[in-house]
Amino acid sequence: MHPLRDTCAIVGVGASAQGKVPGSSAISLSVEAFKRALDDSGLRKEEIDGLLTLPGQTSAEGALNYLRLGETLGIDPRFTGTMNMGGATPGVMLQHAVLAVNAGMAKNVAFVFGDAAATGGGKYDRAQGWGDSSSIWGYMSAAANSAITAARHMAVYGTTSRQLGEIAVACRYHASLNPDAVMRTPITVEDHQASRWVVEPLHLLDCCLVSDGGVCVIVSSAERARDLKQKPVLISGMGQAYTTQNLGREDWWYAPHQRTSVLDAYAMAGVGPRDIDVVQLYDNFTISVMLWLEHAGFCKPGEAGPFCEGGRIQLGGELPVNTAGGNLSESYMEGCLHIVEAVRQLRGQCGPRQVRDAEVSLVTGRGQALNCANALVLRKG
Amino acid sequence: MSDYAKPLPILTDENRPFWEACRNGRLSLQTCSGCAHVRYPISRFCPQCLSAEFEWSEMSGRATVFSYIVFHRAYHAGFRQDVPYNVALVQLEEGPRMFSNVVGVPNDQVHIGDPVEVVFDPVTPEVTIPRFRPISQ
Repeated sequence: MHPLRDTCAIVGVGASAQGKVPGSSAISLSVEAFKRALDDSGLRKEEIDGLLTLPGQTSAEGALNYLRLGETLGIDPRFTGTMNMGGATPGVMLQHAVLAVNAGMAKNVAFVFGDAAATGGGKYDRAQGWGDSSSIWGYMSAAANSAITAARHMAVYGTTSRQLGEIAVACRYHASLNPDAVMRTPITVEDHQASRWVVEPLHLLDCCLVSDGGVCVIVSSAERARDLKQKPVLISGMGQAYTTQNLGREDWWYAPHQRTSVLDAYAMAGVGPRDIDVVQLYDNFTISVMLWLEHAGFCKPGEAGPFCEGGRIQLGGELPVNTAGGNLSESYMEGCLHIVEAVRQLRGQCGPRQVRDAEVSLVTGRGQALNCANALVLRKG
Repeated sequence: MSDYAKPLPILTDENRPFWEACRNGRLSLQTCSGCAHVRYPISRFCPQCLSAEFEWSEMSGRATVFSYIVFHRAYHAGFRQDVPYNVALVQLEEGPRMFSNVVGVPNDQVHIGDPVEVVFDPVTPEVTIPRFRPISQ
């Protein structure tokens, strides 16, 4: 058995209001989330000795970093850092928290995120890259990377835009059951098809939201977790994998490192795809969910299109995906909320969107130009 | 003065030979003297063997469309007049892939797998941008 399996638990989760929160800043939203997670856990602020963060998309006062965050929270950590892996960062921070707790470098690690991307002025309009960057040819935006993947998936496997639309529809349906979600009005595949092109073959409804908000997750040892306020959610499996090669790698577009990260997490947890009750798959764009379904072994390579049809990925289906609405409909918090939702499902706190008897959840994250991938297997303690 | 409003390459000692070659109508990439790997993006060191020895060698200019997308919004003001415009990830015959545009044909006439060849588009006195056009079959 893997020596770190189930050694740590998620003991507290918290999120601020999401969506458009005018008058807030990345730091104020972070503190709001931290207070809620702390209250959720039953820990005292003085007990938080590890602090991790990520910069986010925008902030009037500059990118969020551990010093500014520590100053604002009044915490002098023993273990800290700012990590920058885009949408893969939340999962990576959680894994670093587990390593730090096991190494005795910290007892209770909080990762805290805040962003004011919706009202603070995003950085999405900047030209990307440097020197001989692809922006010379007009290749810009996160949407472009996923559009490249979607176009290739369609050409190689016959995947259709309507099948991508099924993912948007499922996420929106789940968001309609989540009072904290930003976009709650149900949509149909026809709505998806009628939404405008952003970067073809991606429609507007293939794209995640741009949101203000804050999220905090607190990790402690499994032993400590037993004495705290909530039923612990054990961190059973962890995996990370990267490709630093974009153009230089034949299958970059297919992000095969995602598979490596999931297999490592499965192996550490001693589980496989059949053991997973509910999944939270990183969905910056709908196509990302398809890649995760294939790489995590829920279907074969190329078969995610048909897999997403017929309500299979909706609540009540075989494999409910992104039960809070995901980045597509709940809120875009770089994937932090995927971890929060997995915890709430495993605690049984999800009300009308609760997956019955949920005991094991897979959570995935991916960031940068498809480069960074990670996976977590979480288990009801 | 040029009124070209799109992003331009920042010319450096490392990438100047690539852009000079484009200006002269040649697509030229670095071939590693240590392991013969043909590389792109431009780099002082070979990502395979880390050798700093290389030669600029001329590519055939023939490629295939590896993936292909159409921008319906401009993320940079310079492209506002161009939407919808295409960007292709092209696979060069010699191995490397590069982002570029497919020109001389409507956006909906380009498909993944299409054979294309390089053409050169002088946009400023200093910079000529390589793009690709379909090879008629």
